Amino acid sequence: MRVSTSQIYALGAESIGRTQADLLRTQQQIAAMRRILTPSDDPVGSATAVGVRQSQAGVDRHDASIGVAKDALGQYDSTLTSIVTLLQNARTTTVNAGNGTLNDADRGALATQLSQQLDQLIGLANSKDGQGNSMFAGFNVGAQAFVKTASGVVYNGDSGVRSLEVGAGRSMPVSMAGDALFLANPTGNGRFVASAAPANTGGAVVGTTQAVGALDGHSYTVTFNVSGGVTTYDVYDVTTAASVSTGNAYTDGQAITVAGMQFTASGAPASGDVVNLAPASRQSVFDTLSGIVAALKLPAGDAATRAALANRLGEGLSNLDQALENVMTHQAQGGAQLSELDALSGLNSDRSVAYAKTLSGIEDLDYTKATSDFAKQQLALEAAQKSFLSVTGLSLFNEM
Amino acid sequence: MSTNIYGIGLSGLAAAQAGLLTAGHNIANVNTPGYNRQEALFAARPGLFTGAGYMGQGVDVTTVQRIYSSFAAQRTLQSQAASTAVDAQSSSLSQLDDLFGDGTSGLNVSLDAFFASVNTVAGNAADTPSRQQLLSSAQSLVSRLQSYAQQIDTLRNGVNQQISSTIDSVNGYARQVASLNQRIATLTANGTSKDLPNDLLDQRDQLVSQINAQIGVTPVVQDDGTFNLFLANGQALVTGSAAHALVAVRADDNPQNVDIGLDIGSGVIHFRSSDLAGGALSGLLAYRDTTLAAAQNQFGRVAIVLGDAFNAQHKLGVDLNGNAGGDFFTVAAPDVQPATGNTGSAVVGAVIADAGALTASDYTLRYDGSNYTVTRESDGTVTSYASMPQTIDGVTISIASGAMAAGDRFRIAPTRNGAADIGVAITDPARVAAAAPVTTSATATNVGTASLANAAVSSGYPAAPLAAPVTLTYASGTNTLSGFPAVPVTLTVNGVGTTYPAATPVPFTAGATLAFGNMSFTLQGTPANGDTFTIAKNTGGTGDNRNAALLSALAGATLVGGTASLDAAYGQIVARVGTDTSQANIESTAQAAILSQAQSAQQSISGVNLDEEAANLQRFQQAYQASSKVMQVAGVMFNSVLDIIASATA
Repeated sequence: MRVSTSQIYALGAESIGRTQADLLRTQQQIAAMRRILTPSDDPVGSATAVGVRQSQAGVDRHDASIGVAKDALGQYDSTLTSIVTLLQNARTTTVNAGNGTLNDADRGALATQLSQQLDQLIGLANSKDGQGNSMFAGFNVGAQAFVKTASGVVYNGDSGVRSLEVGAGRSMPVSMAGDALFLANPTGNGRFVASAAPANTGGAVVGTTQAVGALDGHSYTVTFNVSGGVTTYDVYDVTTAASVSTGNAYTDGQAITVAGMQFTASGAPASGDVVNLAPASRQSVFDTLSGIVAALKLPAGDAATRAALANRLGEGLSNLDQALENVMTHQAQGGAQLSELDALSGLNSDRSVAYAKTLSGIEDLDYTKATSDFAKQQLALEAAQKSFLSVTGLSLFNEM
Repeated sequence: MSTNIYGIGLSGLAAAQAGLLTAGHNIANVNTPGYNRQEALFAARPGLFTGAGYMGQGVDVTTVQRIYSSFAAQRTLQSQAASTAVDAQSSSLSQLDDLFGDGTSGLNVSLDAFFASVNTVAGNAADTPSRQQLLSSAQSLVSRLQSYAQQIDTLRNGVNQQISSTIDSVNGYARQVASLNQRIATLTANGTSKDLPNDLLDQRDQLVSQINAQIGVTPVVQDDGTFNLFLANGQALVTGSAAHALVAVRADDNPQNVDIGLDIGSGVIHFRSSDLAGGALSGLLAYRDTTLAAAQNQFGRVAIVLGDAFNAQHKLGVDLNGNAGGDFFTVAAPDVQPATGNTGSAVVGAVIADAGALTASDYTLRYDGSNYTVTRESDGTVTSYASMPQTIDGVTISIASGAMAAGDRFRIAPTRNGAADIGVAITDPARVAAAAPVTTSATATNVGTASLANAAVSSGYPAAPLAAPVTLTYASGTNTLSGFPAVPVTLTVNGVGTTYPAATPVPFTAGATLAFGNMSFTLQGTPANGDTFTIAKNTGGTGDNRNAALLSALAGATLVGGTASLDAAYGQIVARVGTDTSQANIESTAQAAILSQAQSAQQSISGVNLDEEAANLQRFQQAYQASSKVMQVAGVMFNSVLDIIASATA
């Protein structure tokens, strides 16, 4: 084929230019340590990388939430630990107050101690977190959760529980509302309450209670009759206003069962003394402690007042146990959540590693290949330059 | 006899001189663009009849012709038009491609940072610094979107300027072709002369090639030796000695664009990229009207969908002051442009009805006198309507005032300004609506364990918020809840919904969803007789993060077209631009190779080879010397005769 002179120059320059462009690209890749410099280098890879980064951002968000949740639950855990200790101390105080050898003054001292513990409990229930937010006020974090008034402790919060998404589709509660924690404690043994009527004049004391069958939700009274040295009791259904049974024989210390509700009664009741049986209701731990304090302040000299004290302390103690159990349940739940968070956090680290690996596979440069390419392209450029020079150096005019 | 030898020698000298001149001319023009090598043609003079037959009389230089293959030239023109088109497209696309960088700085990074801030507010809703940080990252996300819009705008303006300036130079070339046409016609006596003005032909070919590189043309040779130049849609750019002017005109469907038009005297014909076959202008138009416009619309769509979805959820919340949330972002409205030739009085309005259904396409509304048609420009789908307003792909199109006349056109671009016009609507961190508008509580004295959980409100709630607290009471005898306001209540158990008329007690089913008055709740636990539950407006719930958590969940939601998250929609833009660019690069390389082959073929015929010319110089020099020798011999012979005469007369 005929070749024109300008073509020799044009083609030579073009091939040098092309090789130079290749060389520059490889150099840029090596300098940036990346295979993809702009999306056109690998459109699919670039779009995939956006997706992987989005997944990683999701993991990062969950990690941030896990951090917040751990902080929050950690603060709840330590506060609840203090509350549990406090309630256990209050319980010990209450148990000690039942000691029959104590006189009114001794009990007065215990009452003072217990009312201080009540104040401490209110203080703990008003705890604030690191940001100055009320921990137990629900969503109403700016308010003081519990305020002591003349008529009792008032709750200023709401029932709100904050949740955070700590994993894909896993929303975890990270706050505890004061009403669920302190206000809504079941009374008695959690299912029913057996309480001696305040007007009782005898020495009968209600002991342990337990549910032995299905409860019908009715309230009953057990009324004692003492006639001719023989004590019997009548059972009356308050809910339906009907007598259930009459003249049942009473033995000191025996267990009395009414519609699945069983309690032991000991001591000698007076005629007309009443034990009320009712389904459990709700009482705040503050009311429970206030009730015990009030009971301890009453004088207890004779058998009747001692029995009344024993009954009120017994009732208070079971209510306190319910409150303690409620707090401990919340604490256990928080602990379980904390360990779940640790597991999630570990899972997220694994994911992050996997995502980083995927990203690196998509975007990062294979150094060995790149440097070998570079050497190859360098060689090609040198060859193109040398051959260009020698081709263009050939001319017949040189010989004329 | 001897005078004949003189004549032959002289003709040889003249022929060798012509050969030397031609070789010299070729050497001189070795680097002239568009030059075709020339060759002097020789013919032996017819012999003179003598008794001994025909005696040769020397040589004639018949003409100087250029070595030219119109086939090779035509092929080169075609390859050149194709190559310059993809070249222009590829280099413009590379600029757009560069805008996306290497993936560590894309829009997704800003989106992810924004949602991380939303998540931080969800983690601590009462914290003002977290809220402030959310507003800052919203601002930086918005700036990011605006900067994409701005950069796309800069690229478009670059294309527009390039179109305008290219048109000027094409017009200049076209005028020169027209005037060369005239000179060539004159010089060739309207094509009747056998001697052609080779260098003028070369010049004209070169000008055609320069026009062709910008806008593909087909030259058609006329009998008088002139060229007519036709554009791909059949319009003539040059006819004989007359050139029409290309003009840059404002595109009537998009004021941001400059279109190419041809001034035919009676008016201006608009060209679309499909009207052009090859040339840089066609590549630029194709790039501007497809990939660049699509990228702009797609960014706009991401911005609109983000703003719309975030606003919708934000409005369902309440802020730190207990007020209902307002718009968080300002969202751009669709762009509507009437065509310049419209004769009706209609003002067309468009609003976004459902951002999730938006496409990245533009739409054209037409009226034929009885029916309206809406064409989706991305795929050409035409939908016909008897009346307006109508909603198509999430956009409601209406005639705001006046009436369309038959033949009127409107271009509706729902997403064009989305990225440029998005903004952050609030500046006060307290106005971030992180809380949900209603709270539920179980009364503290309830004996049962039941609760109303997961309180949520639907989009109708802000228009009809809870007026007064609602207290629901459970009755164990009938296992029902009562106390609902006077609206129907829907109870959904295992996905099956039952609607109870107003004032009807609703059965309590643990795990079921209770919905009324744009609110919904999950029933949990076991209630006891007489238990009450209160649903109230959220007041003072500064620590409530429920709406913030829902806002945060938008990060992964498939908001765009119901199939892609915001990040994924950005990924689609990256993939589209990347694919278009890499395809254009590949095509550009392929077309360059084809062009190079065509040029090689053309050059192998018409190009100057210096070695060849050196040989020619040598050849004609020797021929010249030989002819000189012939004349010398003739002289010697003549002298010999004179000597004889002298000696005879002496």
